[in-house]
Amino acid sequence: MPLSRPGLRPNSVTATNANETEAGIPFILNGKALLANSGEMLIDACERNGVHIPRFCYHPRMRPVGMCRMCLVEVDTGRGAGLQPSCMLTVSPEMVVNTESTETKQAQEGVLELTLINHPLDCPVCDKGGECPLQDNAYAYGPGESRFVEEKRHFEKPISISSLVQLDRERCILCDRCTRFADEVAGDPLIHFIDRGSQTQVNTFPDHPFSSYFSGNTVQICPVGALTASPYRFKARPWDLAETESTATVDSTGARIVLQSSQDRLVRVLGVDSDAVNWSWLSDKERFLHEATDSNDRLTEPLVRSADGLTPARWTHACELVGDALNVTASQIGVIGGSRLPLEGQYAWAKLLRGELGISNVDAQLGDGLPGEVMLGLPRATIAQACAPAGVVLILGADPKEELPSLYLRLRHAASQDGTKIIELTPRATGLSPNAAISAHPLPGQVGVVAAAIADGKLDAEVGGVAPGQLGAIAELLGSGAPVTVIVGRGNLAESASFTVDAIAALQRAVPEARFLSGLRRGNVHGALELGFAPGLAFGGGLSEDPGLDTAGILRAAANGEIETLLLLAADPLADFPNSELAADALKNVATVVAVDTFLTASTQQANVVLPAAMTGEVDGAFLNLEGRLSPLRAKVSAPGQARPDWMIAVEVSQSVGTPLDFGSIDDVRAGLAADVSVFGSLNWDLLGASGDGPLLEFNRTWEPQFGEPVVAPLPDGYGLRLIVDRKLWDLGTMVQQSESLRDLPEVAAVHLCRQDLEGLGVSEGDDVLVEWSNGSQSLQVRREVGLPRGVARIPFRLPGFNVGDLLSSEDLVAEIRVTVT
Amino acid sequence: MGYFEGFAVTLKKWGEGVTTKEYRAGKLDSKGEISPKDQKAPKPERAHGRHVLNRYEDGMEKCIGCELCAGVCPAKCIYVRGADNQPEDPTSPGERFGFVYEINYLRCIHCDLCVEACPTQAITETKLFEFSFTNREDAIYTKAELLVDNDGLPQHLPWEDWRPGEDEFTSGWMRATASSGKVQYENTVGWSGELGYGVRAPEMGQRHPGESPPDADTDQSGATSGEDQGSHH
Repeated sequence: MPLSRPGLRPNSVTATNANETEAGIPFILNGKALLANSGEMLIDACERNGVHIPRFCYHPRMRPVGMCRMCLVEVDTGRGAGLQPSCMLTVSPEMVVNTESTETKQAQEGVLELTLINHPLDCPVCDKGGECPLQDNAYAYGPGESRFVEEKRHFEKPISISSLVQLDRERCILCDRCTRFADEVAGDPLIHFIDRGSQTQVNTFPDHPFSSYFSGNTVQICPVGALTASPYRFKARPWDLAETESTATVDSTGARIVLQSSQDRLVRVLGVDSDAVNWSWLSDKERFLHEATDSNDRLTEPLVRSADGLTPARWTHACELVGDALNVTASQIGVIGGSRLPLEGQYAWAKLLRGELGISNVDAQLGDGLPGEVMLGLPRATIAQACAPAGVVLILGADPKEELPSLYLRLRHAASQDGTKIIELTPRATGLSPNAAISAHPLPGQVGVVAAAIADGKLDAEVGGVAPGQLGAIAELLGSGAPVTVIVGRGNLAESASFTVDAIAALQRAVPEARFLSGLRRGNVHGALELGFAPGLAFGGGLSEDPGLDTAGILRAAANGEIETLLLLAADPLADFPNSELAADALKNVATVVAVDTFLTASTQQANVVLPAAMTGEVDGAFLNLEGRLSPLRAKVSAPGQARPDWMIAVEVSQSVGTPLDFGSIDDVRAGLAADVSVFGSLNWDLLGASGDGPLLEFNRTWEPQFGEPVVAPLPDGYGLRLIVDRKLWDLGTMVQQSESLRDLPEVAAVHLCRQDLEGLGVSEGDDVLVEWSNGSQSLQVRREVGLPRGVARIPFRLPGFNVGDLLSSEDLVAEIRVTVT
Repeated sequence: MGYFEGFAVTLKKWGEGVTTKEYRAGKLDSKGEISPKDQKAPKPERAHGRHVLNRYEDGMEKCIGCELCAGVCPAKCIYVRGADNQPEDPTSPGERFGFVYEINYLRCIHCDLCVEACPTQAITETKLFEFSFTNREDAIYTKAELLVDNDGLPQHLPWEDWRPGEDEFTSGWMRATASSGKVQYENTVGWSGELGYGVRAPEMGQRHPGESPPDADTDQSGATSGEDQGSHH
C-alpha cells in the first residue's frame, strides 16, 4: 500500500493487521466511517477527509514531535475516549475519532490560552500578522479571552541570528519546527532550544550564526512571527501581496516557487510543496535572489558604443547595428550563453541564429559544463528516481550543496531517512559526505581512471588516490542490484571536462542499466541544450553534422581575430569563464560585441551594443529543469524601462537581419517550438497551467553518446599541488551581487589545503601563503579543509579577493600551483 | 419634434429662482475680511473630514505602519509603507513606524473605517472638508501634511479653511466602536494624555438628544476596554 506521499515518512512502519483491508484502514471520524492509508498519521487522514485539525508543530515534510499539543483530539481505541495528539498517532483499525466534542474544544481552547500567555500580541508590527497560523487558530479555536493578567516574558526584540534571519523570542511558541528543520532537513543544526521551563528559548550557539544555506525555510515554516526574513522585513503586509506560481531559475533544479509582489515590486519568494521537485524547501539563493530584479542597476534602455562610451539609443537603431553585425559569414559569428533565457527566448534566438543564419559556434555553457551531446544522450533519471528509497546514487563531480541546493535537500533526505546509498566520486568532501555510504575523492585528472578501474574490476591497487578498499566497496554497491543513478556535474573547473566524460563512459560500462541525472547547474541550461545551444547539437534535435566551436574555441578564435561578431546572450565570459586572460583577449579582438543582458556586467561593459532584457518574474515562459520537467515561469511585475522579453528581442533583431521571425505572441513562439523541435512536438502546453509540477518531457533520443579514447592526465611534477576550482553558492555572480541582502555573503578567496599539507608547509589556518602558477603569483590566506585529498589545493571560483580564473588556462588538462610560505 | 417640449421645460423653470445655494463659507468680502454672513454653519458632531496622524505626549508618532487602514479602506485611497525604527532615534514606539503615509482625497469617501481599524488610534478624522486642489498630486496628502504639529494640533495648510476652534476634537473621538470591538463604550474615556488636548471628557456615543445614557456600570468590559485604548505608550 503506497503512502500518500511516497518516501515521506519511512519511520512509520507499515503495520499489517488482520483488520486492514486492501482499501485501507477503517476508522470513524466524527461518526463517519472512513479509510486511512497504512501508516498514515491521524492528522493527515483527517485532513484528507476534509477535517482540518489545528496544528503548530506538525509539518508534513518533517518528523512529528507533538510539541505544541494544538492537535489534541478525542480518540477511542477501545479503552475509552481520551485526548491524544493526532500528529503522533498513526491510524489504527476501528479507531473512533471525535474532533468536534466538547472535550476536544476545551483542549483546543486551553492549549491556545496557554500558548498565548507569553505571546506579545504585537501583531500590527509583526511581519506574520495577517497570515499567521497563531492568529488564525486563535480566532477559529481560541477562547476569545485570556485570564492571564501577569507580565509577559520578555526578551530582547529581534536579534539577528544570521544576516538573513531575525529571531524574536518573545513571539516564539516553541514548536520545534525551525530547529527540527535545521537538524533534520538541512543538516545544519545551528539553532536549538536553550534553557528550561518558562525560560526556554530558541537560539544559536554563542558566536555561531545560523549561517545555513537554507535558513530562509525556517521563516516560511515558523507558525508565528518569531523568525522573520531581513530582506522582507516590513516590506509589505500579506493582504497587499499579489502572487503567482512560478519556477526558480537560479539553478537547474527548477524549484517551484510563489512570486509575491506589492506595488509592482517583487518582495518575497516562497517555496511550493512540489512532490516532484523541492518539497516546499528552497535555498536562500532561490528565496532571496529576487532582490536583484528590483536593483537600480538594471539595464533599462538599449546602449550603443559611441565616442563617449556606452550611450542610450533607440531600440530600432540598436537592432539595426546588431543586424549589421550579424550580416557576416556564419563561421565568423560566435554565440555564448543562453541558459538564463526562458525556453521561448532560447527558441526564438536559436531559430534566428541556427535555423535562419546557420551559425554553428553556439554554446550555452562557459567552459564549466559538460558536452551537450553526452549529457542529452545518456539515459535520464528523474529526481524522484534518484531519491527512491533503497537506491544507489553515485555523485560524479560537483558538490550538490553548493551548486544545486534544492536537489541536495532531496538527496540528503533520501540518504538519511530512506536508505538510499550515496557514493561520492567527487574531488573533495561535499555537503553530502556525512550521509554518504562511500566518499571517494579521486585526484584531479584521475576520475576517469578510477571509474575505469571500477568498471574493469581492477580493485586491488590504489588508483588515482582512491584506496582499493573503497574501489571494492563502490563496485560492490554498484553491483548490488539496486537501481543506480549517477548525478553528473563538473566538480573541478581546473581539470578538463574530458575526465568526467571518461568516467561517464566507464560507469555506463560498469552498470549498463544506470540512469543519469544531469548536474549541470546553470538555470535553464537544459532547455538551451534541447534547442541546440551546444556545438555538437543540431537545432531541432539530434547531433550536428557540422559541429561548431565551444565557448573556449570561440574565445580562442576570437582572440586570434577569426571571429567578427560575438553575441553574448546573458553571458559574462570575463568573469564567468575559467580562463580570464583568454576571455579578455577575445573581447578585445572582436570587431563587434553584442550583449543581451539584464545588468552591465564586466563583459557587457565592453560590448558595442547592449540590449536590455526582462528577467525572471517579469516574463511568461517555460523552464526545463535537470530532470527534463517543463515548468512555468510567470510574470508578476513589469520589466523596468524598455527592457523586453528575450523572444521579442530576437524577433526585433531578426527584422534587422532580413530574416524576420513571424512571432507576434508567446503562443506563436510555442507553436513554432512545437513545429521545429521534435521533443516539444507533442507537448500539451496547457499542462503548464495554474499549478502542478509540470510535464516531464519524453526524450526519444536517436543517438547514444560516443566516447573516444580516455584522456590521460599528465603526471604531477612532484613540487606542485593539483588544483581544484569549484563553485560556492555565494559568489561574485551578478545576481548575488545585485541583491542587497546577499552581496556580502561570499567568503574571501583562500587556498584550502588538508591538514597534512598545512603541516608540511609549516603554516596554520589563517596564515598568508604565496600561490604561484606558470605566469603569476598571488598572496592568499590558507585554510584547512577536512576531506580534501593530500597533494591537492582548492581555490573556489568567483570569490572576492582573487579571481582564480586568472591562473586557469582552458588548454591545460589539469592545473597545478605551488604554495610557498611568504 | 420633441425638442420644443424640452425648451418649454427650460422656459417654465426660468422664473422659479435658484434653489442651489452657493457655498460661501470662508469667502472674503471686498475688504479682505470674512463677512459676518459667511460664518460657517456648525457641523454635526460626527462629521467626517480630512484625517490627521496623531502623536503621543512625548512627540512620538502613533502610527506604526501596520497598513491595517490601507487594508480596510474600501476606496483604496491609503498607501502605507512601514520601516524599521532607528533604535537610537525612534519615530514611533516599538520596531516599526509608518515610513510612507499617503491618503488620496480624490478617492477618500470619509467612511472612517481606517479610524476603526487603527490599533494605536494614530489616524483620526477632523471635521474639516473645506479644501480644494488644482491638480491630482495635491489631492494626495502625505505624512508631512497629515501629521499633527509639535503641539499636537492639525496643520493649517494654505489651501484649507480652518477657523479658530475648528481644530479641536480632531483626535480619537470619532470611533463608532471601542477598539476592543465592544459597541458599548459610552461614558468611558476613549483617549487620554493626548498631545495637544490632554485628557478629555468621555464621549456620549450615538444617542438621540434627550435619550438617557445607559448606566456605565452595566457593561464592565466596555469600561475596561475604554481604559485600554489610551494605554499604548
